Amino acid sequence: MQLTVNGNSLDIDAEPDMPLLWALRDIANIRGPKFGCGIAMCGACTVLVNGQPRRSCSLPIGDVDGEVTTVEGLADGDTLHAVQQAWIAEQVPQCGYCQSGQIMSAVALLEEVDNPSDEDIDNAMAGNLCRCGTYTQIRAAIKRAAGSKAGA
Amino acid sequence: MTRSLAGALLANITGAALLLSAAFAQTSEEQTDTNDEAATAAPTIPSQAGLDAWEAAYKVFSHPRCVNCHTADEYPRWSGPSYGEARVHGMNVQRGPAGFGMAGMQCITCHGNENSAKLHGPPGNDVWHLAPVEMAWWEKSSAEICEQIKDPERNGGRTLEEVATHIRDDGLVLWGWDPGPGREPAPGSAQETYALIVKWAAEGAPCPLP
Repeated sequence: MQLTVNGNSLDIDAEPDMPLLWALRDIANIRGPKFGCGIAMCGACTVLVNGQPRRSCSLPIGDVDGEVTTVEGLADGDTLHAVQQAWIAEQVPQCGYCQSGQIMSAVALLEEVDNPSDEDIDNAMAGNLCRCGTYTQIRAAIKRAAGSKAGA
Repeated sequence: MTRSLAGALLANITGAALLLSAAFAQTSEEQTDTNDEAATAAPTIPSQAGLDAWEAAYKVFSHPRCVNCHTADEYPRWSGPSYGEARVHGMNVQRGPAGFGMAGMQCITCHGNENSAKLHGPPGNDVWHLAPVEMAWWEKSSAEICEQIKDPERNGGRTLEEVATHIRDDGLVLWGWDPGPGREPAPGSAQETYALIVKWAAEGAPCPLP
């Protein structure tokens, strides 16, 4: 089965009902997306498919209908994505486990809403849980990234 | 006479009485015409078979697999035998401008093309979304939903025949009978519910009293 991940065409030798997260981590060795709950309840496995956030733990590879982007595919060469830069500037992560999922959801939000309000952020990010409680830093980083995108 | 039949008969008689009352407020010429009509229009007894068909269909319309996404507010619900008390869908999930979720977290973020095989995993279908607000059934009575189903303004612009075929053929409706592990399916089957609506419509689509 062919998947396009971060611009690369990958040949995945697996049954179509294998969750995308398994294919990414165990076959393609792309370890940014994390296993959290396995039932789309926590957001740690979030990737983009055609720009839309999807919980890869619950998405069979047979149903992947577009290009997959993981946190590894956000940077442009050595230049980190605006959201990644904001994440560093705001020192968002603590343990870091949920952060790739958080970043992917934030990227998707900013693609749709240029200057998100607190409410917009709550509406888009509430499905990404953080046991360290970095929510205030996440909110600040999203607003910082929105500002940097506006100034770009 | 059953209670529902008696109630529906009362409703029809009351309707006839209102018709007569309205006629008295009209001009003498109009009054004569209307009274002639009223005199010949005996109150009709709603079909018990029709009421029975509706009540059986209502068990489907009011089932958690259907009403959880036919809500009047911005939030789908989680309810049913495996959930205890009904509750608002977790993760601040909301209807969004078109019923498909909010910017950055649409329904498709978690709900794919098919049911998760895991207990409490996300159910899925090719198109996952909330019903429009005007089609809200959550916590509504049999009489209320019955009137909604007959009203094209509140049933998606459908005739009763189209309502029946929608139930029989629409993929998201059919999901109600194949909801994935741990969820109780809607009663009966899509084909049986289609037949109930056809029967109900053929019997004059009677509704119970509010």
